Amino acid sequence: MKTFFAKSWVRRTIALALLTAVWEAAARTGLLNPLFFPAPSRVAAVAVELAIDGGIWVHLQATFSAAVLGLILGLALGILLGFLAALVPVLAELLEPVMILLNAIPRVIMAPLFVIWLGIDLSSKVALAVVLVAVLVFFAVYSGIKNVDRKLVERVVTLGGGRWVLVREVYIPSVTAQVMGSLKVAVGFAFTGAVVGEFVASTRGLGYLLQFAQSTYNAALSFALILLIMLFVLVLFSLAEALEHRLLRWRHR
Amino acid sequence: MLKVRNVSLAYGAEPVLENLDLDIATGAFVSLVGPSGSGKTSVLRAVTGLQTPLNGSVELDVDKCDVGFLFQDDALLPWRTARQNVALGLRIRGIAGDKALAEADSWLARLGLAGLEQRYPSQLSGGQRKRVAIAQVLALKPKLLLMDEPFASLDAIVRARITQELVDWVEREHMTVLLVTHDLEEALSTSDVVYLLSQGPRARIRSRYEVPIPRPRTLIETRKHPAFGALLDRLWCDLADEVNVAGAEAAQ
Repeated sequence: MKTFFAKSWVRRTIALALLTAVWEAAARTGLLNPLFFPAPSRVAAVAVELAIDGGIWVHLQATFSAAVLGLILGLALGILLGFLAALVPVLAELLEPVMILLNAIPRVIMAPLFVIWLGIDLSSKVALAVVLVAVLVFFAVYSGIKNVDRKLVERVVTLGGGRWVLVREVYIPSVTAQVMGSLKVAVGFAFTGAVVGEFVASTRGLGYLLQFAQSTYNAALSFALILLIMLFVLVLFSLAEALEHRLLRWRHR
Repeated sequence: MLKVRNVSLAYGAEPVLENLDLDIATGAFVSLVGPSGSGKTSVLRAVTGLQTPLNGSVELDVDKCDVGFLFQDDALLPWRTARQNVALGLRIRGIAGDKALAEADSWLARLGLAGLEQRYPSQLSGGQRKRVAIAQVLALKPKLLLMDEPFASLDAIVRARITQELVDWVEREHMTVLLVTHDLEEALSTSDVVYLLSQGPRARIRSRYEVPIPRPRTLIETRKHPAFGALLDRLWCDLADEVNVAGAEAAQ
């Protein structure tokens, strides 16, 4: 029994179950106003209803597509620009101030601008997710290369390695470790971009549904949608973790 | 094999080491000892081209690719296995992947690491990592081997064993060696000639010591040789004088 409770996932599950039970009891006894805090059972019923009804799938597909596309393009752009800036000093002088500015502002404020430029379809949501992810990844790659272990660089140089060998043997693996460290944050950012983009202007997506739930004071629907988004992010988190284990197996052995 | 002519080296405005002249004949084992900050490591870095001298020149009778550098830290790539680390230098020299890996395995076996080829550096002990680093350098069959306190981080027994193996190897292959070390006993027991550098900045060669102990050598027997004790005394006294004089000058 003692060893059973020693497992962290057991303790976490019990804590979550306790919180849900307290919430359920508080909602049923009237301690919480169900208009603002509907009981978890009510939230679950709405979620099941959404799934059975089938109308949710088109919204899920829209948000998921925007987030995953934004994540992939953002990673590619961030890695490319990070490498270019670290290896070509002139480009660093051009890119670094722009990235610092973009990093200094809450980048979701660009959502209305993307709607003006790209319309209310998928592309404006993807663009917002790309900007959110690319800036994060740019700094991970750029600082990863700048702070690469000099001893390893000198080791490869004394073995006769040139620029390309250094990139392949030292910089790419070293940066992979940095990027993997920010991958989970990037997943969250990609979903933030997609949902906020839909929140601002769209005809479908979980953000659009959230906007609808807010305007109709439907807290149960809001909670159900938040739950769905959490589930999807958790699925992507575990995929990111599996990828990290695969690419950084030298750390985990 | 190696001629260092009038070389000055600096990290800031003031030279750490000034007007150094050093001749190392083919097959000689030479050590550089001296107080901290006398620029010993900088000399090795200048020979490999990692550091550019302020003035003077470094002349090598061999190609740059015939120079092996054994660092103080093992500096193995953490994301490559032991065999991949050893094979790296071979692949850089144009040896195909499979052949390079097979050769790496054979070098690891020679250094007593058979069965550990697939391990990552984090899965090896300090002594095993050092052996991988030695295999990585020796696999390239260098004619000139530069070593920067390569065994400083190892415990006494592992250190003695690896040093002996390396000395055996160097004697068998008639390799030329330039060793930088703080350990005077290590310098005298391994080398044909030991140079003592003065305290930096503006360090110079203070004195030169011939070690008249025949080869092949075993480190334990070498320490029992009648010439060893006298040489060690002289070297200790000279080094202590150097540090004391530098300390007195700094106090003034």
